[in-house]
Amino acid sequence: MGLNNQLDSIYESLGYVWPELILTFSILVVLTTGLIFKEKSHVTFVLSGIALAVALIPVLITWPQQPVSLFSNMLRVDDFAAFFKVLFLIGGLLTLTITGKKKEAAEFHLLILAVVLGACLLVMSMNFVMVLLALELISLSSYLLVGFSFDRKSAEGSLKYFLFGTVATAVMIYGLSLLYGLAGTLDFSSSPFIDSLMRTQSPLLLVSCLLILAGFLFKMAAVPLHLWAPDVYEAAPTAVVAFLSVVPKLAGMAVLIKLVLSFYLFGQSVYLWPEMIAAVSIASILVGNLSALVQTNPKRMLAYSSVAQSGFMLVGLTTLQLEGIHFAIFYGAIFLLMNFLVFAVLTYYEKHGDINSVNSLSGLGRLSWFPAFSMLIGMVALTGLPPTAGFTAKLLIFSSLWSSYQETHSMILIALFLVGLLNTVVSLFFYLKIPYFLFIKEAPVGVTIKSSGFSNLLHLVLVIALIYLFLQPDLLMGWINRITFVL
Amino acid sequence: MNKTDLLFYLGVFLFCSGLLMVFTKKNAIMILMGIELMLNAANLNLVAFNQSTPGLDGQLFALFIIIVAVCEAAVGIAILLKAYRFYQTVVPDQFRDLHEKL
Repeated sequence: MGLNNQLDSIYESLGYVWPELILTFSILVVLTTGLIFKEKSHVTFVLSGIALAVALIPVLITWPQQPVSLFSNMLRVDDFAAFFKVLFLIGGLLTLTITGKKKEAAEFHLLILAVVLGACLLVMSMNFVMVLLALELISLSSYLLVGFSFDRKSAEGSLKYFLFGTVATAVMIYGLSLLYGLAGTLDFSSSPFIDSLMRTQSPLLLVSCLLILAGFLFKMAAVPLHLWAPDVYEAAPTAVVAFLSVVPKLAGMAVLIKLVLSFYLFGQSVYLWPEMIAAVSIASILVGNLSALVQTNPKRMLAYSSVAQSGFMLVGLTTLQLEGIHFAIFYGAIFLLMNFLVFAVLTYYEKHGDINSVNSLSGLGRLSWFPAFSMLIGMVALTGLPPTAGFTAKLLIFSSLWSSYQETHSMILIALFLVGLLNTVVSLFFYLKIPYFLFIKEAPVGVTIKSSGFSNLLHLVLVIALIYLFLQPDLLMGWINRITFVL
Repeated sequence: MNKTDLLFYLGVFLFCSGLLMVFTKKNAIMILMGIELMLNAANLNLVAFNQSTPGLDGQLFALFIIIVAVCEAAVGIAILLKAYRFYQTVVPDQFRDLHEKL
């Protein structure tokens, strides 16, 4: 192919990546305006909000998207990528709305945009080079975001996240290099890749695949790579925690789905991928829920809860069938809503005093009922009880797990089923601890709480979304059901 | 033993010594050096395996990994400096503000 043709194909490809172009351009704009309007944090806030909202438009108007390969098969746009992009952009917007006044606001907004850009590129990637670059864009920006409280704790959290993260990335890169040697290509959707994996059955293949998956399990904070989560969640600013527990996690899950499907070789792989994922999932659910029981710091508790939630998301992937994966994606979307609801209420309380322990939330629900009620709905949804969409999401993934068990009669799947159901009961104890303190305990004398119309509106929207999707899950499932995987 | 095998074993050795450094060294700078060794092991692999495959994918990937490693080091040392200002040390074991409180 001549140079002219290549330039033409690059030029054509650019027409499909409008959201990414908008985000890239707005990063540059935010950087320069941040230098000019140093003291006015709302300028970059408005700019990045507009950028995220405008980037949503091209994704939504091209829906449903025919699969198209771009940039000589580096990226691919399809419904799968488009759906996740919508989630990331909404996640970015929600994060901006729950962030209060910040020091160094321009850099903060810029890094949020960079993480969203990285996540959007990651879900479109079809080549390991692109996967690595997009993943690093997410990682490097999020290491810095953790340090945005500018105090001792956040410096420590940021350093710990960085050290754990780079080791996980280095291990993943080594796995990629081994897989390149075995497969002879970096394009993991191409037929030469699949063919050479079918022919290779050396143990080295399993090792390299596991090393690669380690990088993404780290991003998802799944056991055994969850050790960073509690410290980082405790140290980072609350809005950043909300962001990090959703956007990189969902991006990691999206790539994990793609990679595991391609390693699974349509069921021809000799390795027991469903069983391995089920084991990770059982461990995540158990470790997450049992460690969350003893926590007193709400942010640490939510860190362990997010480890458990990763386990629940992986349940859908265990089936390795289209239906199960659809349900996992549905769970991911609902997780975004419920997690942001809980963190939105936490940031609201944080404005009135610190929230380092559950005790400091005592009685706040008696002073102003609506935020506490939203917190209750969020916690009920995270537990997985009706009348919230959290119940629907759990019901769907466990029903797909059950049907997969009926086909395979694999012991580990029934173990996962039982662990999942029992842990819903366990999780009730710690999830309802916060609403218990909010409503039942007496507030200390002299504590007052200002109600804020804007945050009440935000809570209301998220509560309505969670309850509405419980009554009408088809609204979202209709979109998700269009997603197909052509490898 | 042909050259590719030799380079592969060298890569394995580099990766293992890098991982060992990460686990045993106390100083954060030494941990960063261990990470660099692990990345270079991957680079060696990519360049070596590229000899037997068509195209230049592997070597280009190695170039990208070098760039990524530079960015990582830049961000990492910035974070480390910030932490040093608060703690006056770069030994992660001595950072004790975040831990399980039971």
